[in-house]
Amino acid sequence: MKTLIGLTVANLKSLVRDRAALFWTLFFPVMFVLLFGVLFSGSSDSKVDVGWVDQDGTTASASLRATFADVQLLKLHDGTLDEEKAAMQRGDVSAIVVVPAGLQTATASAANGKKASVSLALYTDPGQSSTDQVVEGAVTQIANGFNLAVLAPNSAPVLLVEGQSLTSTNISTVTYLVPSILAMALMQLGVFAAVPLVQQREKGILKRLGATPLARWKLVASNILLRLLVAAADAVLIVGIGMLAFNVQIVGNPVEIVLFVFLGAAAFLSLGFMLASFIKTEEQASGVVQVVQMPLMFLSGIFFPFDFMPEFLRNFARLLPLTYLGDGLRQTMVNGTQIAPLGVDAAILVGWLVVCLAIAARSFRWE
Amino acid sequence: MTHSGEPVIRVADLKKHYGDIKAVDGVSFEVARGEVFGMLGPNGAGKTTTIEVLEGLREPDSGVVEVFGLDVCKHPDSIKQRIGVQLQSVALYPRLTVAELVDLFGSFFDHRVPAKQLIDAVDLGERANVRSMNLSGGQQQRLSIALALVNDPDLIFLDEPTTGLDPQARRSLWDLVKGIQAKGKSVLLTTHYMEEAAELCDRVAIMDHGHVLEMGTVQELIGRRFKERAVFFDTSAQLPSQKLAGLAGVTRASQEDGQTLLYSKDVPSTIGALLAMADDLSIEPKNLGIRQATLEDVFLDLTGRALRD
Repeated sequence: MKTLIGLTVANLKSLVRDRAALFWTLFFPVMFVLLFGVLFSGSSDSKVDVGWVDQDGTTASASLRATFADVQLLKLHDGTLDEEKAAMQRGDVSAIVVVPAGLQTATASAANGKKASVSLALYTDPGQSSTDQVVEGAVTQIANGFNLAVLAPNSAPVLLVEGQSLTSTNISTVTYLVPSILAMALMQLGVFAAVPLVQQREKGILKRLGATPLARWKLVASNILLRLLVAAADAVLIVGIGMLAFNVQIVGNPVEIVLFVFLGAAAFLSLGFMLASFIKTEEQASGVVQVVQMPLMFLSGIFFPFDFMPEFLRNFARLLPLTYLGDGLRQTMVNGTQIAPLGVDAAILVGWLVVCLAIAARSFRWE
Repeated sequence: MTHSGEPVIRVADLKKHYGDIKAVDGVSFEVARGEVFGMLGPNGAGKTTTIEVLEGLREPDSGVVEVFGLDVCKHPDSIKQRIGVQLQSVALYPRLTVAELVDLFGSFFDHRVPAKQLIDAVDLGERANVRSMNLSGGQQQRLSIALALVNDPDLIFLDEPTTGLDPQARRSLWDLVKGIQAKGKSVLLTTHYMEEAAELCDRVAIMDHGHVLEMGTVQELIGRRFKERAVFFDTSAQLPSQKLAGLAGVTRASQEDGQTLLYSKDVPSTIGALLAMADDLSIEPKNLGIRQATLEDVFLDLTGRALRD
C-alpha cells in the first residue's frame, strides 16, 4: 500500500510539473466551460420567460395579465396551451401560467359574497428548480394580492394556484454542454494517459522499475488511481463552474453520476492503455493521441445535439464510446434527451473497457 | 584480495537468441563474493543481454543462471530485494527531484539506506532538490548509482556506467565504485573502455559475438598472450627495420603511425643495442620509450579488430 501511494504521488508530481499535460487534463476543459458558458448564457437575458395562456378572455383576466407583466423578473409570451407547452419543451419558456375560463364570473360571484373559486394552472419543470422558485413565488404573491383586492377580509380565496409539472425535454445550451465537456475531459484524461506511459517506456523507466521488487500490478494500479483522482478533480471543477457561474442545475442521483464519471474515466483509460501498447515513440504518441481524440470530440454528438446530425454521421457517432458517455452523463446530471437508455450507455462503456483492457494486457510492451 | 565461499553469481552455458541473432551463445562464468567482475567487449557482444538475464529482466533460453545460489527464474523477487541495478540508459522520472527519486525507489524495498546518507555518498547533497532532468550527465549517472544502492544490496550491476561521461566525471565514478567494493560488496560491470576494466576489475571476461573469449585478471590476460614488451621510437630512415630485427632480444619489428616498434623479451639488451647502433650513425632515436601490452592489444589479438570499432 505504501508503495502504491508512493508511486501514485510520484506520477501525480510528474503530471503537475508537466505544464503541457496539466493544460490538457485540467485547464483545457475548464476553459471550455468558461468559454461556452459566457458565449451561450450571454444571449438570453436574465428574465424568466413565462407562457401566458388566457382561456377566460375577459377584463378580469386582462387585469391579471397586467399585474404579471409588471413583475420585472417575468417576461410573458401569449399563446394557446398547446403552443406554450411546445415552447416549454423547446426550452423557449420556463413555465406556463394558464388562466381558466370563468375567472370573471367567479370574481363577480365572490364580490357578491358567494362562494366561488378558480385555479390558475402553473406548469413548471422540476429539473429547473431555481426558475421554479422564482415563478412559483411570483405567481403565489400575485394570486394573494388579487384575492385581497377583490374580496372582503376572511372570506375564502377566489384565485387558487394549482401546480403542474411539465418536464422540458430541451434544456439550455450551457446545461447541455456541462455534461458534454465533462465527457470530453474524461475522454481526454484517459486517451492522454498513453503519452506518459510511452515516455516511461521509451526512457526505460518501466524497465528500471522491472529490476526492483515492485509488482507490475502496482505500477498499473497507481496509473489508474492517479487518473481516477484527476477524473474526480475534473468533475468537481467542471460541474462546480457550471453550477456557480452559469446556474446549471444538477438534478440526477449523485451515486449514478459518480458511477458514470468513474466508468467513463476507466473506459477511456483502458483505451489509452491500448494505444500505449501500439505506439512506439514519444513523438508518435502525441500525434496518435490527437488523431484519436479529435474525431471523438467532434463526431460523438457531445457538442452537437444528436438530432441535428445528418444520418450518416449519426450512425458513425453511434459507434463511438464518447457518444454513450456524453449521453449517460447528460441523462444522469441534467435529465437531457437520451440517445440510448441509461443501461445501454453503461453496458457499451463496460464493453469498451473490457475489450481495450484485454487488448492492452495482451500486447503491452514494458520496454 | 581473496574471495571465498559460494559464488554470488553462477552462469553456466547461458543462451539467449533473438530469431537468428545469437545474442548470448553459451556463456559461463562465476563471480565471487566481494569481487569486481568486468565484462569487456564491443557493442553487440552480449554483455547487456547477459546482465539483464541476471537482473531478472529477461528469460534465458537455456543454461544455469544463479544469483546468491538461487535460480533467477524461480526466485526473482527475493533476488531483486538484494541486488542493485543501474541500467545502460539513465532511466528516471525527469520531473522528480533527487531526494524524491531516492525516496520512491527506497519504498520498493523491505530494507533501505537513509536517503540523506545515500545522497551524500554519491556527492549530490547540494543537488538534492533539483529535478533529475536538470542534472548534468555525470550527476545523473551518480544518481542512478545511488538508486542502485538504495536497498544496501550485496551485489550491484553496473551496465556501462561511464559511457558518455567526460574524463573527470568518469574518474569520480570510478572512485564511487572503488568505495562500493571497499565495503565488501560484489560488483558486475560491463564496459567498452579497457582502461576502466583495468582500473576497477579484479577479473575480466572479454566477450564478442555472444561468447566469452578469455577470462582472468588483467595481468593474466596480457601475460598469456604478450610475453614481450615493445620498445618504440619515431621512425628514422637511417634506422631501417630490417636491420633492427636482428638486434639483441628482438622477436619482431614493425612500423605504425610513424613509430617503429621493436617487440622484445629482453628490453635492456634491446635498448643497449639500439643506442649503440644509433651512436655509430651519430643520430639519436627520438621519443624513445617502452610500452607494455594492454587489454586493447589483447582484444585486437583475439578478434583482429579494435575494441571500439
